[in-house]
Parts: sequence; structure tokens; C-alpha cells
Amino acid sequence: MIMKKVMMTALVAVAPFFYGCGEKTDVVESGTYQGVVEEVEAEKTEIYVKTADDKLLELYFTDKTSLTQNGQTATFDQLKEGSKVEVQVEKVGNRLDPVAVKIME
Amino acid sequence: MSEPTILRTELWHPLTVHFPISFLLLATVVKAVALILKGERSVFWQKVGSFLLVLGAAGAWLAVYTGNLAEGTVARKICDPILLKSHELASLNMAWLFTGAFVLEIVQHLNFLQKKVMVLRVLTTLIMVGGAGYLIYTSHLGAQVVYEQAGGVNVPPSDCAGL
Repeated sequence: MIMKKVMMTALVAVAPFFYGCGEKTDVVESGTYQGVVEEVEAEKTEIYVKTADDKLLELYFTDKTSLTQNGQTATFDQLKEGSKVEVQVEKVGNRLDPVAVKIME
Repeated sequence: MSEPTILRTELWHPLTVHFPISFLLLATVVKAVALILKGERSVFWQKVGSFLLVLGAAGAWLAVYTGNLAEGTVARKICDPILLKSHELASLNMAWLFTGAFVLEIVQHLNFLQKKVMVLRVLTTLIMVGGAGYLIYTSHLGAQVVYEQAGGVNVPPSDCAGL
């Protein structure tokens, strides 16, 4: 019984460790990719896009990033988790600069 | 002329990381030493280790917070944000491990597993050793971001104009 309590306590103590294991992001070549917005971090104007081939792209918007929807300029708050997007990225070193982001729906 | 250094948000991170680094590494050593000591000396060093752990764990989360603030600026400028992401993930693992050790400390102080105090102490120390490993790795990655990629650093012109 005591041993069970010890094991439970140990599990509780290390459980956050597994929660803390976030996802790694990927680097792709410059080009255009379609995917789904997995996460939006508005305060950092940053999005995570999961591509069709299961790559996770972390994109920080720059002053030069264009954001459009139906051919019109869109605002960052129109990007939602689950939105389908097409992103044109430029690879600089291992950094992916989003050149253009189109909201597809 | 650039803005005053302290007002740059990304510099709050180096301002806050060094306390948890020193507190948590010292806490791990102290807790390990306390395990092999006996009697009053063991009790004393266990308490010292506990205080360092509490201060260090709180400091670690503050460092995670300031690191998150710095990320938005630094990730847009460095050449390898993947390294920054590894730094972030390692720091979260480190902070959670020390938080786990802190939870075990609370369990000990509440006398919740009274007859297994030694087991809890060993377990706490082992988790802290794991946390210390992540702490060293996190620090190494952080140093790479700064010293190899100039993350958060204002690089002066080669002629030092304006300084």
C-alpha cells in the first residue's frame, strides 16, 4: 500500500515532465506550402502551420509578410486555429520568413 | 542611437536566468550531500536544499516567462530558430522537473508518506539531478543562441560609429 502511494506520488511528480515535451518544428526549402493553422500566437504575430506532409512550420510574421483572404488584405486576427492556409516561405539559414500567407476559407 | 539597454524586452531574460541556474544547481548538490549526511547536519542541509529549490523553481518559471517574451524578437533575427526552439523545450522540461521535485518536497513536509521519507528524499534528488542535466543543456543552448547567433545582441558597426 505504502509502495503504491510512493509510486503514485512519483508519477504525479514527473507527469508535468511529459506535459512539458512540446513539439519540435521543421525547416523546409523556400517555396509555397498548403496546410492548416495549428496554433496562433497573436501577441508575437506568430503561427504554426501543419503541412499536408506532416511538417510543422513555425512562422513569425515580418513587416514584409502579406496576409490575404479572397484576394483582399486580411488582418492577423482573421487567422484562426484550424484555418486552411497557403504560405509562401523564404528559407534564410534555418529560419523561415513568411513572404505571403493566404487564408483559403 | 539605440534605446536604453534595459528597456529592450529581450534583455529581461538574461537578467532573470542566472539566479535559477545557480540556485537550482546548488540545490541539487546540497540535496545530494544531505542524503549522505546523518542526524542534525542532514536535517540542516535538507532545509537549505529545500529553500534553494523553492527559490530556484520560482526563478525558473520567471526565466521561462521572460524567455517567452524574448523569443518574439530574437527568433525573427537569428539564423537558426530551431536551436531557440530546442532551448525552449529543454527549459520547459527543466522547469517541470524541478517543479515535480518541489511537489515531492511538499509531500514530505505534509508528512504524507511518513514511513517512506528516505525513499522520497532519494526520489526528489534523482528528479533534481535530471533537472540539473536539462538545466545545463538549456544553458548550453542559450549560450549558443547568444554567442554563435548574436541572439538579442546589438552588433555595433565595424567602425564603432555611434558608440
